[in-house]
Amino acid sequence: MDERDLVFYGTPIEREEELSSRKKKAVAEASGQLRTLPTWKQEVRDEEGRRRFHGAFTGGYSAGYYNTVGSKEGWAPQTFTSSRKNRAEVKQQSILNFLDDDEKADMEGRSLATSTQFDTFGFTASEVARKQADKEQDKRPSAIPGPVPDELVLPAAESIGVKLLLKMGWRHGRSIKDSSTDSLYDARREARKAFIAFSSSDDTKSNIDGDANHENDHSNSLERPVNDDNLSSQYTALNALQPKQDLHGLGYDPYKHAPEFREKKRSRVSGTQGPGNSKALTISDNLFGSKSGKAGPGFGIGALEEYDIEDEDVYTTAYDFEDTVVQEVEDSSKPMTDHKHRLTWKEPGILPGFKVASISDYQVEKFNAPEVPKDFVPRHKFAGPLKVEDKTAVPPPPDVPPPQDSNMKVLIEGVATLVGRCGKLFEDLSREKNQSNPSFGFLMGGNGHEYYERKLWEAQQKYKDQKKLPLPSDGKSSQKTEKMNAENRGKILGERPLERSSSSLVSPDVNLQSNLSDTFMKPLQFSELPEVSKPFKDNSAKQERFQQFLKEKYKGGLRSGDSGGASNMSEAARAQERLDFELAAEALEKANRGQQSNLSAQQSMDFLTSAGMQFTSAGVESKDTLDKDFEMKKMYPKREEYQWRPSPVLCKRFDLVDPYMGKLPPPPRMRGKIDSLVFKAEFIPVPRIEDKTGQNQNRSSGGLQSSAQGVRDGSADEEEDEVVVEFENVERPVDLYKAIFSDDSDEEAETSKVSKVEDPEKKVEVANATLNRLMAGDFLESLGKELGLEVPPDLPPYSHTNQNPSALEKETTGLNLRDGSSVKMVAEVPKSMDDQSPPRGKLDEVKVVKITEEDRKQESPPPSEDRMDRRHSKRQRRYDNISDSYSSSSGDDSDQDRYSSKSKGRRKKGSSSRDKKSSSSRKHSRRRHHRGDESREYSSSRSSRREKDRGESKREKRKRRD
Amino acid sequence: MSASDLPTKEANVLKGHEGAVLAARFNADGNYCLSCGKDRTIRLWNPHRGIHIKTYKSHGREVRDVHVTPDNSKLISCGGDRQVFYWDVSTGRVIRKFRGHESEVNAVKFSEYSSVAVSAGYDQSLRTWDCRSHNTEPIQIIDTFADSVMSVCLTKTEIIAGSVDGTVRTFDIRVGREISDNLGQPVNCISLSNDGNCILASCLDSTLRLLDRTTGELLQEYKGHTCRSFKLDCCLTNTDAHITGGSEDGYIYFWDLVDATVVSRFRAHASVVTSVSYHPKDSCMVTASVDSTIRVWKT
Repeated sequence: MDERDLVFYGTPIEREEELSSRKKKAVAEASGQLRTLPTWKQEVRDEEGRRRFHGAFTGGYSAGYYNTVGSKEGWAPQTFTSSRKNRAEVKQQSILNFLDDDEKADMEGRSLATSTQFDTFGFTASEVARKQADKEQDKRPSAIPGPVPDELVLPAAESIGVKLLLKMGWRHGRSIKDSSTDSLYDARREARKAFIAFSSSDDTKSNIDGDANHENDHSNSLERPVNDDNLSSQYTALNALQPKQDLHGLGYDPYKHAPEFREKKRSRVSGTQGPGNSKALTISDNLFGSKSGKAGPGFGIGALEEYDIEDEDVYTTAYDFEDTVVQEVEDSSKPMTDHKHRLTWKEPGILPGFKVASISDYQVEKFNAPEVPKDFVPRHKFAGPLKVEDKTAVPPPPDVPPPQDSNMKVLIEGVATLVGRCGKLFEDLSREKNQSNPSFGFLMGGNGHEYYERKLWEAQQKYKDQKKLPLPSDGKSSQKTEKMNAENRGKILGERPLERSSSSLVSPDVNLQSNLSDTFMKPLQFSELPEVSKPFKDNSAKQERFQQFLKEKYKGGLRSGDSGGASNMSEAARAQERLDFELAAEALEKANRGQQSNLSAQQSMDFLTSAGMQFTSAGVESKDTLDKDFEMKKMYPKREEYQWRPSPVLCKRFDLVDPYMGKLPPPPRMRGKIDSLVFKAEFIPVPRIEDKTGQNQNRSSGGLQSSAQGVRDGSADEEEDEVVVEFENVERPVDLYKAIFSDDSDEEAETSKVSKVEDPEKKVEVANATLNRLMAGDFLESLGKELGLEVPPDLPPYSHTNQNPSALEKETTGLNLRDGSSVKMVAEVPKSMDDQSPPRGKLDEVKVVKITEEDRKQESPPPSEDRMDRRHSKRQRRYDNISDSYSSSSGDDSDQDRYSSKSKGRRKKGSSSRDKKSSSSRKHSRRRHHRGDESREYSSSRSSRREKDRGESKREKRKRRD
Repeated sequence: MSASDLPTKEANVLKGHEGAVLAARFNADGNYCLSCGKDRTIRLWNPHRGIHIKTYKSHGREVRDVHVTPDNSKLISCGGDRQVFYWDVSTGRVIRKFRGHESEVNAVKFSEYSSVAVSAGYDQSLRTWDCRSHNTEPIQIIDTFADSVMSVCLTKTEIIAGSVDGTVRTFDIRVGREISDNLGQPVNCISLSNDGNCILASCLDSTLRLLDRTTGELLQEYKGHTCRSFKLDCCLTNTDAHITGGSEDGYIYFWDLVDATVVSRFRAHASVVTSVSYHPKDSCMVTASVDSTIRVWKT
């Protein structure tokens, strides 16, 4: 292989022998040449034997690196460094960069400088000091960046001149020229020294075994420069400058107005800068010390994050951390002063010169807890039955035989019982009243007065007793448990006493024989209840429970856990029953109150029974609790259907065809407060007004107790009817727009006219309502005229072809009938609304459901424009042919009634679970249906179906009525 | 299937959650199960081997419900942070966060093609979220409920939800109507039968009620367990022969579907059994409890 074919990289290693041989040769040559050759032929060579000088064309003389780019490494491109980034790194060339090694060696030791020995004016020393300061400055963090200004750094070592001066008697701070001030200065200085010594010794005394020496030194060193500054300005040698360690602005003195704290801080700093401290310690202390106040927040979390338990922990540890660190430093450095420092630090608010008083006048006044008597038992025991009035009670008058006159006896006993129950006032009244009546002479102290006194006392005792008597059923828990005896038991059970034994002594105790005998006649607990007040007569167990419930309700006391046989009932049934009871009790109360008013107890009881009928069960035969459960089941689940519009996107995502495709979007759902408010406000008073009449009607028409089926015929009408009344009062003010533009009101107006014509003997309310309707109708009419809506009288899309006049007749008669009977239902409405989950009769339930279903089907009035047209046409027809218009309108009306009854049914149902909001929303949704229906005219098939539905429902209704 | 085939033997205990486990759900084929709990995590398990596979962390508060797509690629979860999270199963990243519920979100489910997620919230609303587009606004808000919506089920055409107002409401998208079945008791959880004809509703009066969907008729009531204050799951077995549900005393109950007798009951957990999920094919069940464990039951 030829050598030329090869490519060589890198520099070949010089062989050792070659190099050495050349060197040897050079040396030999040099020595030989120097000796032998003439001067002009001699060549300058370096130690390696290389020629140092060449001709001009071969590079002049060779200096440094021979025949290279001038560097040891050879040519290397200089990397560009931006001077903007690192300005400081700009290299400064010095002479050494251009010198050979030998030349450098030559230069060594030839630099001139004065030695410290002969540094007369201290330049060298100052130089050294500056360098020292620079070095220190590198280590120490400083508030001011950059090198220390020269002026601040002064030589620490004294110059020879100063030394000479000192030898000559000069002292620091003394002017060289002015010697006259010396003596004065000296005197002052001495005085000051003495003062300092005194104060410092004082200081140490006050300390607990303080490190006196250190304190003294320290205060001296602190004091001196300041004082010297003041006295002599020029020749001051500052031994130690106070480094700026805080982060305050220049010249800012935080202790300007509180110098005492400066002292404190200084002492703290000095404590850490004691002789025992290493430099590292002081630095670390400075770092912590200067930042200690801000160290805490640094460990926190972001302002946006929520606080957590862990986060709070961080904060607490931060403070501990600060505390412990400082203590640690002090501990390590100076155990003696540490004590003092900690003292001063730990008790904030103690100023220097003050100490904590050991005895203070201020004391927290303490009040001892009241002493509990030794024999006190922390549980109250009742010695016996509470006798509040016993103290005031007069001793019982002697038992006297009753007067011979039996009438007299009866009268006396009656009056006594009454007075005993009603109080002294009654006695006074009757006395006044019967002043002249001789038979009442016993009141004025006449005949039979003693007997009266006795009887009165007994009555009073009895009444008190009754009031006080704990309820027998609570026997277990009440305090009278141990008092249970034959008599009590007898009372509870309503036993009749065997015989009144006259031989029994009348003791001052409460247990009077007569008292007992009286109460035995009837069960004690319900002597005050009238016989009618037994709404659950047919179910004795239930009646019992009801009585118990009443007792608990009105008498209070401890509730027994198990209320007579109710334990085996299910939770729901019990709740149900409780609701019934509540209702019955309310009715009873009303009955009691109603004795002043026209309502008799019987009347209210009638109502109650009807209510009971409604709320317990449909049939009289089903009284069991199991049946109740069954009823619950019958009631729930309840199914309701509403229109719901899925969003088009949802349909798309579900891969379904939008059932409302191409329809107008629903109007924005507005949840106006006004609607619901008006609704509520208007709705409530209606039943109130009609309450009484309704009940009267109800009773007169045979009552409900006959059977649910019996009432049923009417009830279907009632359902509609009551809604009419309600509708009148409720819906009209809701929105005028609807009242004007929907045909509801219009048709109603017509209907009312019909009913008015046929039934002139109407209730006032109905008349008023009709008047309203008429007015509305007139208004509408005029409005229609104004708008100029004259439309050809074509029939509406749904003409009532499938209605025969007889059915219409029925409809109208139904309308007439209902006015009276309707009210009953209205009166019942609030009851069921109060009730959370009213148990309702089966039939009722069915009815409601039916009606809602119908409503579902029915809720399709024609579009509004169409309505307007129809209205016009109808009106015209009305004027032309009244009967004709009647037929159509009444048919509409029945629809309308059912339509509006939907709201009723809904409310009934909704009242239990749904709140106001939802009910209002329902209403809106209903309104939406109206709107939705506008678009329905396109689909004729739908409307025809609707027609069919309506026809069916009508037929159904008719069937029911028949 | 006879009562002896019921999964009553403990096969595995899945531990890993800290604090209560609020839901445990099988995936579509029953090979995996997902759980979520108070510790703000969702965990993926192999319940048959008892292996913890993956943890999904991103929720800010407790996770109340989780559901997985039939192809196991995406998760949907919801919880106390009022958000619905749409996850990628394999990477464990959140693809989308659906914000909009005004309060805690109780339950969430995917639709059949995983294109829509429906969430039920304490704010009395159902919200439907689009998983296809990048829209994070709800497609539709259904707020006809009167109280907190506790549970939601989806069929091909319907959204069914149970609420504390005592109603189970079915929203038929195809017909455009809402059917409300009022049970009179707060509904805790609803579950569809496998044939899709019945709804099982767990009510707060310690009763499970089986409703016929077409008529709204109450078919049967199942009692014996305790369910008064917690949200407890219930479901039908894969054969629709039995009904199972947890109890607040840590028991698991099995009822016969037809005659409502308690076929089996045993103590499964130390505390409230929050969730039960039945294997779609086999006789296997997972239960989750407040005692931070998930247990796998087999025959």
